[in-house]
Amino acid sequence: MYNSVKKYFKVLVLATAAQGLFASTAYAQDPGHYGLGRIATEEEIAGWDIDVRPDGLGLPEGSGSVSVGEGLYEAQCASCHGLFGEGEGRWPILAGGYDTLTDDRPQKTVGSYWPYASTLWDYTRRAMPFTAPQSLTVDETYAITAYVLYLNELVEDDFVLTKENFLTVEMPNADGFFHDDRPDVKNKACMKDCKDPASIKVISTIAGVSPTEHLEEGAEEESAGEAVNEHGKQVYKQSCAVCHDHGVAGAPKTGEADAWTDRIATGIDTLAKRANEGYMGDAGMMPPKGGNMSLSDEDVTAAVEYMVEQSQ
Amino acid sequence: MKNLSEEKTADLLKEIKTEAAELPQKKRRDFMLNGLKLTAGTALATSVGKVLAGEENLPPNIPTWQKTLGRGVVSVPYGQPSKHEADLVRRTVEWLTADEIASISMTPLHKQKGIITPSGLHFERYHGGVPEVDPDDHRLIINGLVERPLILTMDEIMSFPSESHIHFLECPANGGMEWRGAQMEALQFTHGMISGSEWTGVKLSTILQEVGVKPEGKWVLAEGADAAGMTRSIPMEKAMDDAMIVFAQNGEMLRPEQGYPVRLFTPGWEGNTSVKWLRRLEVGDMPWMHREETSKYTDLLADGKARKHSYVQEVNSVITSPCPESPAKRKGIMQLEGFAWSGRGKITRVDVSLDGGVNWQQAKLKGLVLTKSMTRFSMEINWQGEPRLLQSRAIDDTGYVQPTYAQLREARGTNSIYHKNAIHTWQLNTDGTVNNVQLG
Repeated sequence: MYNSVKKYFKVLVLATAAQGLFASTAYAQDPGHYGLGRIATEEEIAGWDIDVRPDGLGLPEGSGSVSVGEGLYEAQCASCHGLFGEGEGRWPILAGGYDTLTDDRPQKTVGSYWPYASTLWDYTRRAMPFTAPQSLTVDETYAITAYVLYLNELVEDDFVLTKENFLTVEMPNADGFFHDDRPDVKNKACMKDCKDPASIKVISTIAGVSPTEHLEEGAEEESAGEAVNEHGKQVYKQSCAVCHDHGVAGAPKTGEADAWTDRIATGIDTLAKRANEGYMGDAGMMPPKGGNMSLSDEDVTAAVEYMVEQSQ
Repeated sequence: MKNLSEEKTADLLKEIKTEAAELPQKKRRDFMLNGLKLTAGTALATSVGKVLAGEENLPPNIPTWQKTLGRGVVSVPYGQPSKHEADLVRRTVEWLTADEIASISMTPLHKQKGIITPSGLHFERYHGGVPEVDPDDHRLIINGLVERPLILTMDEIMSFPSESHIHFLECPANGGMEWRGAQMEALQFTHGMISGSEWTGVKLSTILQEVGVKPEGKWVLAEGADAAGMTRSIPMEKAMDDAMIVFAQNGEMLRPEQGYPVRLFTPGWEGNTSVKWLRRLEVGDMPWMHREETSKYTDLLADGKARKHSYVQEVNSVITSPCPESPAKRKGIMQLEGFAWSGRGKITRVDVSLDGGVNWQQAKLKGLVLTKSMTRFSMEINWQGEPRLLQSRAIDDTGYVQPTYAQLREARGTNSIYHKNAIHTWQLNTDGTVNNVQLG
């Protein structure tokens, strides 16, 4: 409460001195003064309070082994993070990167950078897998955490992570952080002859890395007339793009006509059926509804139609 | 076309083309467009020959929009910008992120004419997309080290005493692409991860006093109801100082992209600490050190150590006119304009240099000068087509002077990603175009 307690008493004293004239001000500091809302039940809190701290507070009872984690990871995580945690496309690299923090291109992974294993457990539980957050059970979360620690060579392959042994995991970069000490630079507001004009070297932008189409005349007229299956596009972006944008895990890349010609030939009904019910093909596996079971059959079909439109 | 013969149309088009050839590019395009509209028009047959093509709306002629009635009230129940402002939109740089669900877009600062960013142009940053929260079913739970753990509906949150404050909100990665050198060829991308709004809500201290924080409570975890379950740990000092639980922005309920129906707002601090779609606050005795305060939003320095809890957005400024999107259009007297801001307090001064930082002159602060708010500055210059290296340097009421790239790099290296607030340089070329450059 810091100052508020002090302030509270100060105001209270004042109020008493003023013979209750300011009593309402004083009690404005009282817990429950406004009487709004109701006391949250333990059950309500338990359902939402899933956070975990570095000291282990918040970890639920449970356990998971590296070997169980391997299967879960390969099915639910590898499509983005890579089989060995190396990261697909621009998705985060999870493993490796040791001794790269001073490199020109550091790799900030769980092993090389993250200071606490609790962060991995907490984030996996609350936000992963990307398209189906909070779908993992407690034991699955332990197992996947164990496996990612294993990929970083922080535990052995027979390790079983539990609530009890959680704090025994040592993170290599635990001491790599320090509290904000800024301002760390001190410029002076020099006004005249602050540097030698001859010393100025102008370094231009690297061409081609930033979008510039909108700076060109007439750009905004482009593509205005194009009709797009908006619903399908929306579903696609939210649930399918993760794999189909980059051709992850054998998924046919959207927009790559070659990959789609034969598939389109089977007919939209077949494609929609496979997408809805799941399909094991030569190139890879399509999980039912791409793993997002909250989608309706119509949603998935619209997304398939969008992908076909984009890939012809 | 019904009143124009084919021959006349052909002549007219030829005339337009000849006239247009002598105009600069932008003008030429407008000219051609207007000319083409004219040939398609129906009411102009009699004036063809007298009116110079493309100037039928200019004096002494009466513009077409004055000769018919305009549309009536509520033809657009929620007002929209003019169709002529269609390029006034948020934009993204696709390669910055793996996909567009966990991504960022930038505000078109080159067209922002005051310290308030229109809500629909406020930059976006999500880690799991924009959730569609039903306000009737949204709840805020406050638990942890408190006397009275509470669950609040939106109506209840909005029944606490509320306040309104104008503040900027900035992503700490604003300009982060430029640590190693100039990359972005537009102001929108170099500085567009900042926006300004009037925020209305309840002081977080009011809510915390209502639940009664236990003496050992030193930190507050804020958690969002989005797919990322976004979390940040906020120290109690900030929570009891100026942090707010905000439900409105610029006079209306928050936009979904900004956390509808309720978000935390931490004035002057890195944007992600203002957790959106706020569903829970937990009071604890230590920080949670979650993903967005360890793996991300920590500042890796050259020696391999990283700064954590680097919350404050330090002094920054940028010239918005001229800039790459808004080149100098004519020689002569020119109003050079820009924005300055500081997460520590008020802007007290902005200096401008035309020669790459050799000499500086004090600019004028314009309009409202508020704490932790975008602040306008301007300076009148007489430009006769000389090549210039334009810079702005802001100072806040703590006396902090916006640093140079050299100073920042010396202190931090180039892998910090976040909190890049160096003096920016625009190269104004003799033809009026502007490039993003850095000075070695």
